[in-house]
Formats: sequence, C-alpha cells, structure tokens
Amino acid sequence: MELIPQLLVNGVLYGSLLALPAIGFTMIFAVLRFPNFAVASIATLGAFAGWVANVPMGLPILLAVVAAFVIAGIVGVLTDDLVLRPMRPHGALTTAIASIALTVVLENIIRFGFGNDLRGYDLPIVRDWRFLDIRVGPQQFENLVLACLIMVILFVFLRYGRFGKAMRAVADNPQLAALKGIPSGTVTRLAMFIAMGLVGVGGILQGLGTAIDPLTGFRFILSIFAAAVVGGLGSIPGAVLGAFVVGIGQELSLVVLDPTYKSAVGFLAILVVLIFRPEGLLGEKRQ
Amino acid sequence: MNKELIMRRRQLLATGAIGAGALTMPRMAWAQSDGPIMLGTLTPLTGVGGTYGPSMRDAVAGVVDSVNAAGGVLGRQIELVSEDTQTNPEAAVRAARKLVDVDEVSAIIGTWASSVTTAVAPVAWEGGTMVFTVSGSDTITELPHDGYIIRTQPNSRLQIDVAGDFMIAQGGGKLAWIGPQTPFAQSSIDILGDIAGENGASMDSLIYEADRTSYRSEVDQIMTGDPDFLMLGGYAADSTVLLRDLYQAGYEGKIIGPAYAINASVLDALPAEVLEGLFTWEGTPDVGSGAYARVQEILGVDVVDPYSAQTYDHANLAILAIAAAGSAAGSDMRMSVRSISQGDGEAVDNAVDGLAILAGGGSVNYNGASGPCDFTDIGDITGTQFLFKQITNGEAVDFETV
Repeated sequence: MELIPQLLVNGVLYGSLLALPAIGFTMIFAVLRFPNFAVASIATLGAFAGWVANVPMGLPILLAVVAAFVIAGIVGVLTDDLVLRPMRPHGALTTAIASIALTVVLENIIRFGFGNDLRGYDLPIVRDWRFLDIRVGPQQFENLVLACLIMVILFVFLRYGRFGKAMRAVADNPQLAALKGIPSGTVTRLAMFIAMGLVGVGGILQGLGTAIDPLTGFRFILSIFAAAVVGGLGSIPGAVLGAFVVGIGQELSLVVLDPTYKSAVGFLAILVVLIFRPEGLLGEKRQ
Repeated sequence: MNKELIMRRRQLLATGAIGAGALTMPRMAWAQSDGPIMLGTLTPLTGVGGTYGPSMRDAVAGVVDSVNAAGGVLGRQIELVSEDTQTNPEAAVRAARKLVDVDEVSAIIGTWASSVTTAVAPVAWEGGTMVFTVSGSDTITELPHDGYIIRTQPNSRLQIDVAGDFMIAQGGGKLAWIGPQTPFAQSSIDILGDIAGENGASMDSLIYEADRTSYRSEVDQIMTGDPDFLMLGGYAADSTVLLRDLYQAGYEGKIIGPAYAINASVLDALPAEVLEGLFTWEGTPDVGSGAYARVQEILGVDVVDPYSAQTYDHANLAILAIAAAGSAAGSDMRMSVRSISQGDGEAVDNAVDGLAILAGGGSVNYNGASGPCDFTDIGDITGTQFLFKQITNGEAVDFETV
C-alpha cells in the first residue's frame, strides 16, 4: 500500500511517453479512418534516427528529437503514399492488415541496417531525485516536460491554426471539405507527417530512458493502441487521457496483480470501455 | 444398400490411404539414403538472441565445410539448411516444420531460448529428427523425447546452484531473484530459495512481464524487501532496462546475471557506472583446447562465445553419430551418439579425425570446444566449468572459475 504514491508517479511518467504516439495513432484514424499499426516501426525508426543524430553525429538530444520527428514523419508519408494509399479503396480492415505487414517490413529494414544489438544514447544516467519517499528520474521528468510542451504546441496549432481547421474539416466530411476548396490530399499528407513525427518522438523519448533495438516500437504498440481506444479513436484529447489512464492503470495494477499480467490491464481497459462507452472516454458518438 | 455404399467408401478410402502411403514411402526412403545428408541449424538470427545466432550458425557451417572437403560422411556430402527462430517459439515451430518435413534434416542444431526448444522438440522427435540445443531449462530434457535431445548447456538447476553458492560466499544475506516469465523462472526461484534457506539467508522474488520498456515499478516492489544481492533472470534487452532502473532507484547492493544477458551489447549500451561491480557467470568453453582454436579460426575471433563453441560441438557430434550409426536417420543417431561422445574410444576434437578412425574400425571419444561432451541418459551434459566475471570500468574481468 505504501507503494501507491510511487506507482502513481511512475504511471504519470509512463503515460506521458505513451501520449505522443497515441496522439499520432488517433490523428491518422481521425483523418483516414483506419488503425495504422505501422506506428510500431515508425516509433523504432524515430528512435534510431535520433540515435544516429545523437551518437555518430554527436548532436545534442534536443536536435536528436527533431531528427526523430522529421525522419519518422517523412518515412510515414512516403510509406503511406506507396503502400497504404493503394489499399484504402479496399476498406479499413484491408488497410489495417497492410499496415501490420508494413511494420514488419520496416522493422526488418532497420534490423538489416543496424543489427540486433542494443544501443544507448549519449546521455549520463543519474540517480533519481527523491521527494519524501517518492523518486523521480531527471530524464523521465525531462521527457514529461518535453512531451507536455509538444502536446501544448500541437493543441494550439490544431485548435487555432488554419491547418487544424482544415484537418478537422477533412476528418468530418472529405467530400464537403473538397467542395469548399480544401486540398484533402495535402491536408492528409501533412496530418500523416505530423502524426508519424509524433510517433517518432515517442520512440526516441522511450529510448532515452532505456536502450533501443529493432523491437523498441513493437514493445509499446499494444499500450498505444489501448490508449487511443480508451480515449476514443479519433479524439486527440482522448488519446492523451487514454495514455494516462492506461499508464497509471498498468502501474497501479501491481498492487493487486502479478507484474506478469501488466499488459492485460491495457486490454481490460479496452474491454471495459467498449462495453460501457464504445465511443471511448472522449470520443464522439457516430450515427 | 446404404451399408454397402458405406463399406465401399471405406474400402476406397483405405485403398487410397495405402496407395498414398506406398507413393510416399519409397520417396522418403530414397531421400534418406541417396543424395546429400541434410543438417539444419535453427538459431536466433533475430530477436533477443540475435546477437549469438549468426556466429552459432557459422560455426556449424565451418564444420560441414571441413567434413565435405574431406569427402563427407558415409560417402555422401552434407548439405546445411539454416533457419531463424526469431527467438520466438511460434516462428521457430514454423521453421522446424520446414526443416523436418521439407528439408528432411537428420538433426536440428542450435536452438537457444528455452521456450523455443520446448516448442520445437516435439516437432523434431515426432519427425524422427535429433535436436542439439544450448537451452538451459531443466524441463527440456525432462520431456518425453526418447533420446532425441542432446544438450551441451548446463541445465538451470546446475547454473542456479553454482551461482547461488557464489552469492552466499560473497556475503549475500538477503537474496532476491528478478526476471521475466520463462520456462526456468519458477525453478530458478525455488532453487535459489532452497540455497538461501540452507544458509540462513532471506529470499524474495519477482517475475515480470518480458518486453516492457520500463521496470520502475517492479524495481520499487523488489526493493521493499531491501535485498543485498540480486540475481537477474532475463535476457539482454530487459536486463538493460532493469539495470538502468535499479541504478536510478539508488540500489546499492550486489547484482549477478547470466553472461548471455549481460553480454557485450549491454556493456556498450550502458554507462560503466551502472554496471560497476556487477557479476556474470556462464558455463565456460574449453579455452585451451584444439577444438576451441578451430572455432576461433572459423569465426575469425579471439574470444568464442559459449554458444558458438557448443554448436561447433553439435555439428561434430551429429556427423560422428551418423558415421557410427551407418545411417543419417535421427532414430539411429540417438542410439549411436553416446558411443562417440564418451567412453574408452580414442580422444578426438573434430569430426574429420573421428571419421577417419571410425572408418578404420576404431572407436572415438569426442571432446569439443565447449568441454568433454559427455551426456546422461536424458541428454544432459555432465561435468562443466563455470566462469564468474566482474564488470570493472565497463569491462568484464575474470573473477573466478569453479
């Protein structure tokens, strides 16, 4: 029981790492109406792009995060254009299955280029800060601040910028948006770039606290998916809320469950939400 | 009328089945008695074991090349087929089915993770194929394999026994085991618990979920027992995360982990201060032996990892077993393998020399790169050395051999 405050803090820190890729996942769903499981490998790609910038090129971590965003975004758009776009006329399920195939191919390309070895960033590992009996890692705290900052910028950009309005219009009704002169192709590509960029940043932030290998993204795809579904697929604030619900839920579960069943909490959350509120916590009911 | 129809249908089915069998059997007999002898490697080329799999495969290929260059075995060349387990039981079973059913290999060599070997072994023995493995879980050789499994890795009981005694000897009074769910997790906890009990030490344990990106809460939980000596039970990827989390949490006690988990990639990925003082242990290859030198040459390395040394031995043992049995069938190899691995025969450390002695009517006792290669009735290795190392300034330094 004395562990609960610490587990809550751990959950918040983990949730903040889940939030960015969950936003990316849900943004893609909002605009294109299919779950893009390629986010797993795009997260890995972001982590490796950041590693290349940070270790071989010697750039500071902030620039490595930018590199992760840009490379993940570009590859996300290119793979969508080349692989997933031709699948879309065949339906969401076909496209989702193609995205699983795509993520396996990307993972193996990364494996081919970098091998299986673990790689760490050029960062000192320091002991955690302690406040009373609660510990917080400086790196985890920096990740939390960075994730929150990115979320605020994204919110302002989407809420008040022209692109945000255009994206919402395309998401609501692509035909009507086209009639109003909104270039849906450009909006879709830009949304994909931002979404996959966020996924890439999620990948590098995850890697900063641990080490990376070709399975880095695969390890947290289930939690990302759970966060997006719990929050309401297509809802960006929902993805953030879902990420914290899943993150805190998984950590708090240790009070009553064996750690072996941690991932089950994500699925349990999906199950509960789908039974009692199928549209997700902040999702909109569909006609 | 209906009865008659059913009878006819049954006769037809029976005739069809016999016909199909007759068509298949000569082909199988032909495949096993003519053409090249097939051997398969099934190593982890990708996944968490991917660090070891490629060199494990290359060590086998080196043996096959040398035997083929010397004229092969039973007058036939050997053809090697290599598949990837992906360090994943499902993928490994698919690959094993291909090796057994399509390639019709005599032996599958080099399964690494215990979960993989546990899944693959029934596919192999049902297909009459030998399995040579480097997996450590006790449960593997306890399977009803009827002689089809040979293991060169010390089993987990022996490994934990040796490491547990080491922890006590180094002053451990509050032992703890932390690792992912694997076939050897619970048995490791039980064995370490027994050692702790016998020596008046306390014992705590935690089994976590593999493939997590953070173990902060698990670390918090295990640290509530205030352990002074922790044993890690995972693989490289999760151990990296765990060691980092332990350091950040301010853990000051001792840590020991298997060398396959605290491997070179972990030393590269983590700063020296996180690893300082950490112990590793492993069954050590026979470093001064001629076989070890040959593996060094095949792989072009100075230090041979224990698994590549073992798969080198697997290939030699399989080829000598085929020669001793006069047959490449797994069912015959399982009967002959101990006749060439132990006993009073002439000591040899490679298949080419052994084949020459067997051809001259002699008998051989193979001693390899991993050690003497003598096996119990259930296929476990007997007699092996363990090397303990300690990480100092980011380098693994020899500590003691037992």
